[in-house]
Amino acid sequence: MQFELNEDQALLKASTREMLAAESPITESRAVMEDNPDGYAKKLYGELGELGYTGILQSDDNGGMGAIAFTAVLAEMGRVAFPGPFLDVAIAVHALEACNGDTAARWRDGASSGNKIVVLARGENMASSDDASVASQFANGSVTGSKVFVPFGAQADALLVETEQGLALVTRPDAGWNATPLTTLDHAQRFCNIELDDPASLLAEGSEAGKILDDAARLGALGATALMLGCMESALEASLKYTSERKAFGVPIGSFQGLQHRAADMLIKTESTRAAVYRAAWAEENSEPDAGYLVSVAKAWAGPAGRFVCGQAIQLHGGVGYTWEYDIHMWFKRIKTLEQFYGSTRAHVEAALLNSPHV
Amino acid sequence: MDLHLTPEAEKFRDDLRAWLTANLDHPYTQDVLDAKNDEDSLVEVRRAFQKKLNDAGYLGMAWPAEWGGRGATQIEEAILKAELAAADAPQSPNALGLGLCAPALIHHGTEAQRKRFLPPMLSCDEIWCQGFSEPGAGSDLAGIRCKAEPDGDDFRITGQKVWTTLGPWSDWIFLLARTDMEDRHGGITFFLMPIDQPGVEMRALKQISGESEFGEVFFDNALAKGEHVVGKLGEGWRIAMTVLGFERGGSTLLPAAEYSRQLDGLIRALKENGQFERDDVREKVGNLIVENEVLRANGLRSLAAVAQGLPPGAESSIDKIFWSEYHQRLTDAAVELLGPQGQLELRSPGAHTDVHWMHQFLWSRAGTIYSGSSEIQRNIIAKRVLQMPTK
Repeated sequence: MQFELNEDQALLKASTREMLAAESPITESRAVMEDNPDGYAKKLYGELGELGYTGILQSDDNGGMGAIAFTAVLAEMGRVAFPGPFLDVAIAVHALEACNGDTAARWRDGASSGNKIVVLARGENMASSDDASVASQFANGSVTGSKVFVPFGAQADALLVETEQGLALVTRPDAGWNATPLTTLDHAQRFCNIELDDPASLLAEGSEAGKILDDAARLGALGATALMLGCMESALEASLKYTSERKAFGVPIGSFQGLQHRAADMLIKTESTRAAVYRAAWAEENSEPDAGYLVSVAKAWAGPAGRFVCGQAIQLHGGVGYTWEYDIHMWFKRIKTLEQFYGSTRAHVEAALLNSPHV
Repeated sequence: MDLHLTPEAEKFRDDLRAWLTANLDHPYTQDVLDAKNDEDSLVEVRRAFQKKLNDAGYLGMAWPAEWGGRGATQIEEAILKAELAAADAPQSPNALGLGLCAPALIHHGTEAQRKRFLPPMLSCDEIWCQGFSEPGAGSDLAGIRCKAEPDGDDFRITGQKVWTTLGPWSDWIFLLARTDMEDRHGGITFFLMPIDQPGVEMRALKQISGESEFGEVFFDNALAKGEHVVGKLGEGWRIAMTVLGFERGGSTLLPAAEYSRQLDGLIRALKENGQFERDDVREKVGNLIVENEVLRANGLRSLAAVAQGLPPGAESSIDKIFWSEYHQRLTDAAVELLGPQGQLELRSPGAHTDVHWMHQFLWSRAGTIYSGSSEIQRNIIAKRVLQMPTK
């Protein structure tokens, strides 16, 4: 029995941290958040594809590395509040791999190599990311419908659209998407609503499409939880650094028990998230029957835990924690956004309840 | 990562489950429910079950073979404790003796001490209580004032100990006392002493639950034989600290297993009374399930670390805070959700009889105090793990 990453996974985690420190430190995430209308750096995104990251969820044969490696990489990305559509594309690549046909294969190549952005477009209800009803239609080689909160939809080269008939691929029209960009809490996460009335290919139908979308939802929740773990790690580390340097009443404020106990609680929540998310990742990688349940447990736990940790981080920073200049808000906002998608906290609590051995 | 049980561990668990089916007639809560039982006879129920466990070779499994061990791993110890909790088996009345005193004897005691004390501890013919805390020394354990004065080869103990679990039913006490009043850590020695002697007065201490499982004990020139000193004079602190860290692997899966059983009882009751269909009830229970599963994930990680022989890390403080505070949230929620019925004592007409909710609700308040209070655990995390500055 062991909980640590194996040698390959540990190496991947270390090299990812090194690569992100060089290419995408938190200062770079901030620059993208503030200045880049796309919300991501195209060059870096391409490099991630070249290095094989974007295809990480594919099968072994296609260069995939498994759910545990996926989790480790995303936790590293959370640490730097990584901007861009990485998680959404990784899930879309996984979905494309499960679809038959040349179109799917071609787009999978494009997305996994970092040349193209393909994301899933599922939700149709602005008030609930858990509302599974879908009115979008695939008929006569076209998709019609309205999708909301499509992640990096305006930047996408193709969308995997959930329709009543199945999963359809729509490529970006020459004139661009009929998209309405949304301004959200987290300025580095770009969402838009998209009106679709475009030529499309149906890639999967019926139960096959259902399974592909269920897998995407589960892997998305796992990845989001890993991102939240990374955000928590960074918020805690930043707080420890700040409270050891900042002095009040002649001593470092981190020497006050009131602050120490807050920090201890941040560690408890962070480490518990780590235990829960890696346990879920292990179950996913080994196709354990309770993988879905354990992913729901991890996601249901991580949202509130992450808000707690990042909220405490703001508190421990005092007034400067509320400034744009300090980085804490980047993790605080990312966690809140992640909590709303890939199944909300409430949806995963309900799923955990239904799938638990107790009920 | 590998969270699978080995085939050997799976076989151990399956054998144990079969043994429990054959040897545990009913859950312990039913013994408590039975009006003809009192506190004395419940201790006998517990003693009898420990004897059975011992006869079947389930006690001291990880000890050296000559003392009943069978080369068991920490993982098997953890499985044993979790399965016993899940089955609501009677708890050993010698849990503290087996958990703290026995490792002290095995690692620091003499051969004669091991031969004399370990067999009756395992068979439960002798019950042991722990004499560490004092009225003036709880979290600050090194602040003990209980005094041991030489008397020939022996020692005379004078002072007071408190929170002595099962003290009123104990035959022996293992205790820390001062052989040097000045040297804070180096003046403490580890003694074994019989309770039944002049100079020892054990009093029952009534708890908020109305039970008197705890005791307080007063020593006035009580006799501790020189041959019953464990280790050398002045080594008591070091021995106590090492044994407190022993067998930590064995307990990693226990809390989640115990609380799973309580969650099962809660959900059963809510389904029976129709409350489980309510969305707010489901959300509350769902969150309790999520937290208990995270508790189990933490336990698995700690167990894996112990199984790998890694040194104790932050896990033990994290786990302690998590399970003790979670148990309060669980029982608070249960007592609220079960309505007035949740406030019934186990033997009251109309009470739920599968979980003793009133006992759990009150007992959860002790969990954040004993074995290092939540405040001490947070201090440990802040100082040793997060290395936050000192003034």
